[in-house]
Parts: sequence; structure tokens; C-alpha cells
Amino acid sequence: MVMAFFRGRGESTLDEVKGTLVSMLADGRTVFDTATDAVFGGGKSKQTKQTVRSTDQEINTAQQRVRRSLMMHSAVTTVDLPAVLAYMSIVKDAERIGDYAKNMYDLAKYGANFELAEDHDELLAYRDAVGQLIDDAAATFASQDEAQAQKLIDKADGFLTDYDHKIKAAFRSEGTADQAVARALYYRYLKRITAHIMNMLTAIVMPIERLDYYDEAPEDR
Amino acid sequence: MATPQQPIMARSARLPSPIRALLVVALLYAFLVGVKMLESGIKGIGSDYTDPLFASVSNPLAGLFVGILATVLVQSSSVTTATIVGLVASGVVGVEAAVPMIMGANIGTTVTNTLVSLTNARRSEQFRLAFTAATMHDFFNVLVVIVLLPLEVFTGFLHASASWIAGLFVEGNLGGSFDSPVKAAVGWLANLAEGVIETIIASPVAAAIVTIAVAIGVIFVTLTFITKNMRALVADRIEASLNAALAKSGTIGIVVGMLVTIAVQSSSITTSILIPLVASGLLMVRNAYPITLGANIGTTITALLAAMAAGSIDGLTIAFTHTLFNVLGIMLVYPWPRVRYIPVVLAERLANVAVRSKSLAVAYTFGAFVVFPFLGILVLR
Repeated sequence: MVMAFFRGRGESTLDEVKGTLVSMLADGRTVFDTATDAVFGGGKSKQTKQTVRSTDQEINTAQQRVRRSLMMHSAVTTVDLPAVLAYMSIVKDAERIGDYAKNMYDLAKYGANFELAEDHDELLAYRDAVGQLIDDAAATFASQDEAQAQKLIDKADGFLTDYDHKIKAAFRSEGTADQAVARALYYRYLKRITAHIMNMLTAIVMPIERLDYYDEAPEDR
Repeated sequence: MATPQQPIMARSARLPSPIRALLVVALLYAFLVGVKMLESGIKGIGSDYTDPLFASVSNPLAGLFVGILATVLVQSSSVTTATIVGLVASGVVGVEAAVPMIMGANIGTTVTNTLVSLTNARRSEQFRLAFTAATMHDFFNVLVVIVLLPLEVFTGFLHASASWIAGLFVEGNLGGSFDSPVKAAVGWLANLAEGVIETIIASPVAAAIVTIAVAIGVIFVTLTFITKNMRALVADRIEASLNAALAKSGTIGIVVGMLVTIAVQSSSITTSILIPLVASGLLMVRNAYPITLGANIGTTITALLAAMAAGSIDGLTIAFTHTLFNVLGIMLVYPWPRVRYIPVVLAERLANVAVRSKSLAVAYTFGAFVVFPFLGILVLR
């Protein structure tokens, strides 16, 4: 215990927090893949439910750990205050990715199944795109590459517009109510996950007062 | 800080650790030169001037209040104790008279975390916890002084024991001096600075007064920057050790508090770090308590360093008195379960009152640390 003072930790709190956020995104990807597999034909099962719940629980625990570390760090030194405030905000985004992925599993639980759907390929393409976005965001967060972060924000911004169109289309569709609701919710969850990833990425490229404001005019970005 | 154009995660340029460490060594050297100059400056004024000036502190209570008020004014017990070591080493203040001043410095230093706790006043529950964490240090120090000051006044056991401990390290008797490598290392620069002042100011008394002013300035500034740089240098280690002590109590907390305080050369920093941790619920008040007590021991390192520069057995004795007083205080209170948490319980009761009346909290802080000692000095001088 006391030796912790002499040993130190080898890396700074903020590096440690950054590492935890990256692993939260990796866990988010796991929940997302597991939950969407259920929607694309896997269906509900005890094992899938267990994986989704326990991984989400790990994400929640990681969020609490990050908050404690940030509180401790800000008590000891104030020089990193902007970064502490930013991390305190974006750790919530990382946690919400797990929550929305978990909601995807609820769709399967309620009976949604896109396996044989006419728009299966399109639905699957967006799933893969969001999965890749989570991975890319994790890598970008680890490297703090500003150019890559901006590129991802721009790419994700395009997805948001697509999801809005898809949700509107679901409202106007002539299919059954359960098909429309499943698609509206599916695209809504994808939109929220994408938006939370964009919030996280804004921390790499923008000053603190612009955190979360990725939806400003493009010329202001 | 992030500017409007700067991304949040872009960290501003920081001083590399080895350079910062060298800076701390240089500041420590300058601090010790300051202590040496203070001692010489006080000697230079002459007893005709200094004896009447310090006659009032021969009253133990007045000495105690001087220690409190001086520490509150400079917001650092390290500055006060280093100055007291200088006064004692110069022979202007006797060891017996300096003991209450050292005790006063211990009480006065707790004002900083009490002030920090007041920043939580808008949120009642956080304020209750923060004010408890801050004032338990006040109560502990006051209670220990209530027990040990009369004992010291009537028996002199504290400074006699400290004198015996000093004798284990250096040869000689009270009133004598010892050869210290630190003293030799800082002596030439202190003499050079004094020589420059004496060349500019013809009157020996005026030159001595300027030397004292410069010395106190150097002590204050160097300690401030030592604390600031050491805090930056060991921030990760502080976090690691505090994290390790979060759910622990007792000896571990005391040792962690001591180590952190020795590292940053300021008990106020250690105890002030604890306030937001307690207020946010990250650290329980009773787990913060031993860390606070450890800070009391850690802060005595400054007076010991100052004594090394002064090279006076009296100075070393008063420095050891400071350490002994704080170690004894913990031994008197902490090992006994019935007594251990009396300061915490008293602090909790005061915090309950303070939550209901925030102005009372402000009145307590101002009254206990400024008005009461000031009136005490006026009455007892």
C-alpha cells in the first residue's frame, strides 16, 4: 500500500483513463455485435443475454472507475482541468454506447428478426459500418490523431442523415407495424450510438466549450 | 488550459521531470540560504532591539497565539517553523519559549483546508463532509495542545526529550553549535548576500533588518515554489498512494499522509487534497483522518531541514520538538479506540451546526484563527 508512493504507476492518470475509455469502446463493440447478431437471426438466448448484460456491467464499472480516477486527479492537480472535464463528459458517451447496444438486444427479445428481410443487406451494411466506426473511434482515441478524428466525425455525420431518412421511411412504410417499429428503433439506436461516438471524437479536435457540438455548420468544425 | 483554438486533449508543454527535479534542488538550496540569512540577520540587529520585541512570547499562551496568527497570515506552517528555527538558532528566542509557537503553527496551518471546505458551502451534504474533514484537524491539534502544552510548561519534558534526541545526532549542549555539511554548503552564499546588503546599507541595524526581510521573502517564495513543483513532480505518486489508502485506515493512512507531506513540503496541500475527495464521497471522513494526522508528522521535515542550515543545537532541538510533539500527539489519541475519534465527532457536531448556518462556519474560521489569537496576543503581551 505505502509502497505505491515509491513505485508510482508508470503512466499518468489521464493516460490510464484514456486506456480505460478505449477498452470501454472495445466492450461496447462486443455488446453491439452480440446484440445485433441476435437481431440478424441469432434470436434471444440465455447465453446472449448473459454476454450482453455482463459486458454492459463491465462498461458501467469502468465508468465509475474513470470518474473516481478523475476526481482524485483533479484533487491532486488542477493543471489538467479541461481534460478532466472532457473525460468526465465523454465517459458517459462511452457508457451510453453499451446501453444502446443493449437496447438492440431488446429488439430481438421483442421478436425483431432481420434475417429474411427484404432490406437485410442494407440493414446489415449499416450494422457493419457502425461496428467499424466503434473500432476506428477506439483506435483514434488511443492515438489522439486529430486528422483521423475529424475524418471519422465527417463520415459519421453522413450516417446520421441516412438514419433520419430511414426512420422517416419506416414511418411511411406500408409494411406491418412490427416491421416499421423494429426498423425505426434499429436506426434510432444506430443513430444514438453514432452520435455518442461523435461526441467522444469532438474531444480530440475541439476546445472544451465545443464538446458535443459536432452538429454545427461544417465550416465551423 | 485549453484556449478557444486548442483541442481539449492537446496537453500544454510541461517542464520535463529531471529539469523540475533540478529546480526543486536549487529552490531547496535557496530556502536553506534564506534560513541562514534569517539567523544572521536576527543576530545582526542586536539584543537591545530584539529582547523587548520578543519578550511577550515568554508567555506560553502568547507564544501559542503568535504561532497561530503568523501561520494563518503566511498560510504555511513550514514558513513559520523555519522562521522559528532561525529565531531559536540566533538565540533571540529560547527553546522553551519557542515550543508554544511551534504548537501554534500546528494549529494555524489547519486554516487552509478549513477555507477550502468553505467552497462547498452551497451544497449542504458536501459541505457537511468537507467541513468535518477540515475541522477534525483543528480539533485534533487543539486537543493535543490542551494536553501537551501545560505538561511542557510545567515539566519541560518535550524540549528536554528533543534535546536528548538532538544529542544522538550531534555533539554539544543547548546554546552550542554543530558542524553541518548543509551549513557549510549554504554559508558562503548567505555571507555573500549579507555582504552585498551591508555594502548598500551603511547602518548595521538597518542592514540586518533588510537581511531579515530578504530572508523571510526567500523562505516564503522558495517554499511556495518547492511545494508547487514537488506537487507536479509527484502528482502520480500521490494519486497512487491515496488510491491505495482510500479504503484503508490507521497506520497506512498515517504513513501515506506523512510521505505525501514530506514530498510536497506542506501539510496544507495534503489536507486540502483530501477535502474534495471527502466532499465527493470518494474518501470516508474516518479514512481521511489518519492521513491528516500523518501530514502533521510530515510537515516537521521543513524545520529539520532549516535546522541543518542553521547549525545550532537549539535550532535542531526545536525542530525535533516539533516532530516529537506531533508523534506524541498521535500516540496519545490514535491508538485508543475511546479517544481516537473524539476530534472527528466534535468536527461532525460543528459541521452539523455549520450546515444550518453557513455564516457561523465563516465566523468560526475567522474567529478561531484570526480574532481569538489576535485578542490573545493583545491581552497577554
